[in-house]
Amino acid sequence: MEVTWAEIWELFHFALLAALLAGFVCPLLGCFLLVRRTGFYGVALPQFAAAGVSLGYALLPWWISTVGIGGLDLRTALETPHAIETYLLGWASITTLGGIFFLALLGRRRETEAGWVAAGFAVAGAATILLGLSSPVGDEFVHGLLHGELLIVGLHEFETIAAVFGLVLVLFLLFHKDLLLVSYDRETALVLRKNVRAIEVLLAVLVGLTVSVGTLILGPVVLFGLLVLPPLAAHGMARSMGSFYWIASLLGIGSALLGFYASIRVDWPLGPSVVAAAALGLIPGCIGSLRRG
Amino acid sequence: MQSAWVSLRGASFGYGGQAVVSGINLRVEPGSFLGITGENGSGKTTLLRGILGLLAPLSGSVDRRTRSMGYVPQREHLDSVYPLTVEEVVRMGAYGRLSGLRRLGHDERELARTSLERVGLLHRQRELFARLSGGQRQRALIARALVMRPDVLVLDEPTSGVDAQAQDRILGLLDELRRETPLAILLVTHDPEPARLFLSAVLSVGGGTVRELSPEESVLGVR
Repeated sequence: MEVTWAEIWELFHFALLAALLAGFVCPLLGCFLLVRRTGFYGVALPQFAAAGVSLGYALLPWWISTVGIGGLDLRTALETPHAIETYLLGWASITTLGGIFFLALLGRRRETEAGWVAAGFAVAGAATILLGLSSPVGDEFVHGLLHGELLIVGLHEFETIAAVFGLVLVLFLLFHKDLLLVSYDRETALVLRKNVRAIEVLLAVLVGLTVSVGTLILGPVVLFGLLVLPPLAAHGMARSMGSFYWIASLLGIGSALLGFYASIRVDWPLGPSVVAAAALGLIPGCIGSLRRG
Repeated sequence: MQSAWVSLRGASFGYGGQAVVSGINLRVEPGSFLGITGENGSGKTTLLRGILGLLAPLSGSVDRRTRSMGYVPQREHLDSVYPLTVEEVVRMGAYGRLSGLRRLGHDERELARTSLERVGLLHRQRELFARLSGGQRQRALIARALVMRPDVLVLDEPTSGVDAQAQDRILGLLDELRRETPLAILLVTHDPEPARLFLSAVLSVGGGTVRELSPEESVLGVR
């Protein structure tokens, strides 16, 4: 029986809206990761966040018996989205922010930084699967990750992602000028009496929040794709910093829409479909880069 | 006598409690054009950071009467991966006066425009900064520093790596600025020779201290 678009909207509108929101916000931060020459963080950090979620699942029975989650037992906690998501978000945030700290330390040793990031990605990837499978309740999460499905996005998940990504967007707009100045010319920012340390911490927090919430709700595959691909494609086409942001975000939104359409039409998992659509944007981006020389 | 924008009295600057340059007495007067020279690693940058207020003195005192300082970094320190236009780079000079959602106002935009016009780059404002030649990039950075509305303009090696014609244009521009305004200029350079006609004094940094070169030393480039 043919499923109508109205029925598809009814079933998946929260997943689509969450993907669109991610398509708008993630490339903005990805632009900064790219020009700060830390684009590989866009791949490593979502994997760190995923490892945090798996760790959270692995520790869940112990956590409930010793620390507790609002007095809930294991079964009730798993059936209470707000409780379990807050708990898992805590672990995802710890591993993501820990990862940012770890990568920032390695950034001082430029010659081996890329190797350490690759090693961190590999270890976090293995830990995600092994910890998830070792948990009596984490195998569904791991199964979803391996198949690249967006985890079920309902009203609560959408509210969470909308609140967090909305906050990230507001802070990004508020402090965009300072973030740009500090990233581009740290010394001049100091001369202009900017609180450089605080602004760098703010960028790390914005990336950490986006990655941990995005990974928990949309999965790391979508985050990899939206943090890295649209900014890379936009860089080849942009003729100013302002157009760089806009092109990246429009490509991100277009990728979410096209990926969603392909996912429904061809019955592909949504995560890889969004990434495949984002990869298409690299074609004009490559042409633009080659023409620019 | 007009008071100095910056006065250093027996000042020492360094890192981790260790002085790199010490016992410095210096007055940066309005309209002065000072050259700071020295070998690599002699402490030029440390002195520069002290004058800019990025390093607190380890001893002695620093008295600043400036409302704002303009800074022109070495252009090699600015990554060309940023797709910034010349106009976007120059407008950054106003970011010190802006916070939060406050957008660049008409006055700031006009100041950026006139600064670009002043350095002869208004016609290239929409082009990518990274596509400019070395000398043009340097002039754009001077325009950005002017947008900071400085009393003292500090330039770190602005003439290194640019051809003689571009060097003359940059130095001539700085000299004009100094003559037309009460702006004081500090020029850090490993080679003061091309600038000697414009400079009111040349300070040599070396051996942990700073001394003023005599006109003869300055002409001969003696350290």
